[in-house]
Amino acid sequence: MADQDVKYLKFKTYLNAYCPYCHESFNVEKKEVKQLNFKAVYKGQEVSVKLSPYLDVFEIETSVPINEGEVLDDLVCPHCNKSLINRDMVCGECGNTVAQVIISALSRLIPFFICLKRGCEWHGLTKADERRIKLKIPRQDMPEQDKTMRIHNHQEVPYGYRSELASLEAGRCLQCKTPGCVEGCPVNVDIPSFIKLMREDDYDGAAKKIKEKNVLPAICGRVCPQENQCEAKCVLGLKDKPVAIGKLERFVADYERKMDLVRIPVIKNKINKRIAVVGSGPGGLTVAADMAQFGYAVTVFEASHELGGVLTYGIPEFRLPKSIVQFEISYLKELGVRFELNHVIGNILTIDELLVHFDAVYIGVGAGLPLFMDIEGESLGNVFSSNEYLTRMNLMKAYKFPEYDTPMPKGNKVVVIGGGNVAMDSARTAIRTGSTEVTVIYRRSRNELPARMEEVHHAEEEGVRFRLLVSPVRYIGTDYNMVKSVECIRMELGEPDASGRRRPVPIENSNFIIECDLAVVAIGTGPNPIIFRTAPNLKRNKWGYIEVDPETNETSIPNVYAGGDIVTGSATVIQAMGAGRIAANAMHKKLKGK
Amino acid sequence: MENFNSVNDILDFAIQAEQDAVEFYTKLSQHSSNSQMQQVFSDFAHEEMGHKARLLEIKETGILETSHEKVMDMKMADYIAHANISPDMTYADALVVAMKKEKAAFKLYLALSQRMQDPKMKELFLSLAQEESKHKLRFELEYDENVLKEN
Repeated sequence: MADQDVKYLKFKTYLNAYCPYCHESFNVEKKEVKQLNFKAVYKGQEVSVKLSPYLDVFEIETSVPINEGEVLDDLVCPHCNKSLINRDMVCGECGNTVAQVIISALSRLIPFFICLKRGCEWHGLTKADERRIKLKIPRQDMPEQDKTMRIHNHQEVPYGYRSELASLEAGRCLQCKTPGCVEGCPVNVDIPSFIKLMREDDYDGAAKKIKEKNVLPAICGRVCPQENQCEAKCVLGLKDKPVAIGKLERFVADYERKMDLVRIPVIKNKINKRIAVVGSGPGGLTVAADMAQFGYAVTVFEASHELGGVLTYGIPEFRLPKSIVQFEISYLKELGVRFELNHVIGNILTIDELLVHFDAVYIGVGAGLPLFMDIEGESLGNVFSSNEYLTRMNLMKAYKFPEYDTPMPKGNKVVVIGGGNVAMDSARTAIRTGSTEVTVIYRRSRNELPARMEEVHHAEEEGVRFRLLVSPVRYIGTDYNMVKSVECIRMELGEPDASGRRRPVPIENSNFIIECDLAVVAIGTGPNPIIFRTAPNLKRNKWGYIEVDPETNETSIPNVYAGGDIVTGSATVIQAMGAGRIAANAMHKKLKGK
Repeated sequence: MENFNSVNDILDFAIQAEQDAVEFYTKLSQHSSNSQMQQVFSDFAHEEMGHKARLLEIKETGILETSHEKVMDMKMADYIAHANISPDMTYADALVVAMKKEKAAFKLYLALSQRMQDPKMKELFLSLAQEESKHKLRFELEYDENVLKEN
């Protein structure tokens, strides 16, 4: 097998097997099924044996019936008539005699063993060879929409794995005994187990395994920065690329949804206590699901007219289809969670009032206050915060105007300030609205870009320009106060400071102008003050984020818990979910004890 | 413009400026609507007290160690347009107020150093200016790290 063919090796592929003595092939083609043809001795009688070989499953067909559990006396090469039995080796499963053939894989010949006991499933490679083969299977890419097509629509960019690709990728997992990936996942999904189930083609079981720890797998599979979490701990990553855990998670979650295999667990013990969850983002939804499954009556209060928080208003359709968010939420509705829309807690009800009606409260309102650079000209027309820009486009569906009422903020030359995922989302959204020139302006160098590399890559593919080590110093407006350009200054990285980081420092007299008719400021967010105006006793840190006990996520107000961005500042979907899980467990422990 | 006839005049002026800063932050602390920001401004006031104590020590001992080490200028204080002073100030606002204040002090000392004929007095103003730029950098770094995280 030539090297370039290696990527086509499928872990459950049919084998090409050869005699170790005469090197003739055992393979025979029979219709579409490739088989291995042997002579065998059974109870002193010569029989012909055909094996339909996979790497780890053998189907046997014999000329005389052999019962399950009975052992062949010998397996013989039909070409040279030599016995293939290897006396130095026994079956790793049942201890019976094994025959040895040679398989060709990865441009080399590798010994492969076949147990002679009918029904024994141990047919395979030595552990070392198995590991060697797996290390050679390259990480599988997801097919995706062509870049020239996708910039004209808002549909999701990656199509997801087909089952063959998923199975090939799942085959790469080494099934480590002490898996680092589980530790790297903020909600500790049993990753090796779900991948093992995938390898047994039990996608439904794999989905259920993930759901034991993560109620939003289709979402996490799409938007989690796995490269910094579970995949960062995958041992394959030390020498090669890690297993594409996120893509596999997405595959099984999509499979479960498409095949209508979602089953709602039966909640046996109803607990007569009520839980209020403020915010229906990923953290709030996790708390709601966990508490509902414990048996509590859960009500989620959402400020907006649609559920999902940042998943709905922040992340664009082309990265996370809203139908998927709504489907995942429908699972919670089926669990019995109540949702109250258009409820701005802090205005319509205070935390103290919630505590009158509920036994515990979880605050998962995110960090929804846009930050600006506070430079000259930020109040000009067509200078948007990324929150407003993306909310208009995603939540209010401005790109479907006039079908939807919100007009679309549109510019021919768009600048996006910032280098995070939100900046990439804004830039890629602008490209899809027909802007001819979209430029991301980032103050630091490429190495410091906080966005996922996958998003940066997609943005570049779609034609977004990057002006790195450049910072805006003021916006310039037209006579009628609309932005017409942004004055920038070039930066350089200064000497490392005490922390060892090199900070961006402006280069004197390097100012220049970038023309634009729309600017989106995506430099980060802070805590929204609404909820705190009526909860002055809720202890916060100097940045305005809620202080919690890290063991329980309980705030300074007893029975009020908090987690996600409102505690940590902007972080990831799965981190918010992890915080929700900690709070739910602590809440349950405390309320159960009462 | 004040007249500076001796090194002590300069130090008195700088000590008074630090005292003004202590009072400024103490006032902000008293007017802040939430306890965290009260604490923040109170900490800033303490920092200024530390600066004042250092100057008093210099005046007393007469020993001033001058350094010509270049302090990084991130120029944030130059480009951030305004600082909102209100009871509802956030920590980010507080950092902007502080860095702008340090920048103003730096500029003042630098301008004064240029007016001085006496090399010793010139040197003293320059070292005060350098000290202020170090204080400014401390606020700029915190702003860079936390507020401009994605920028």
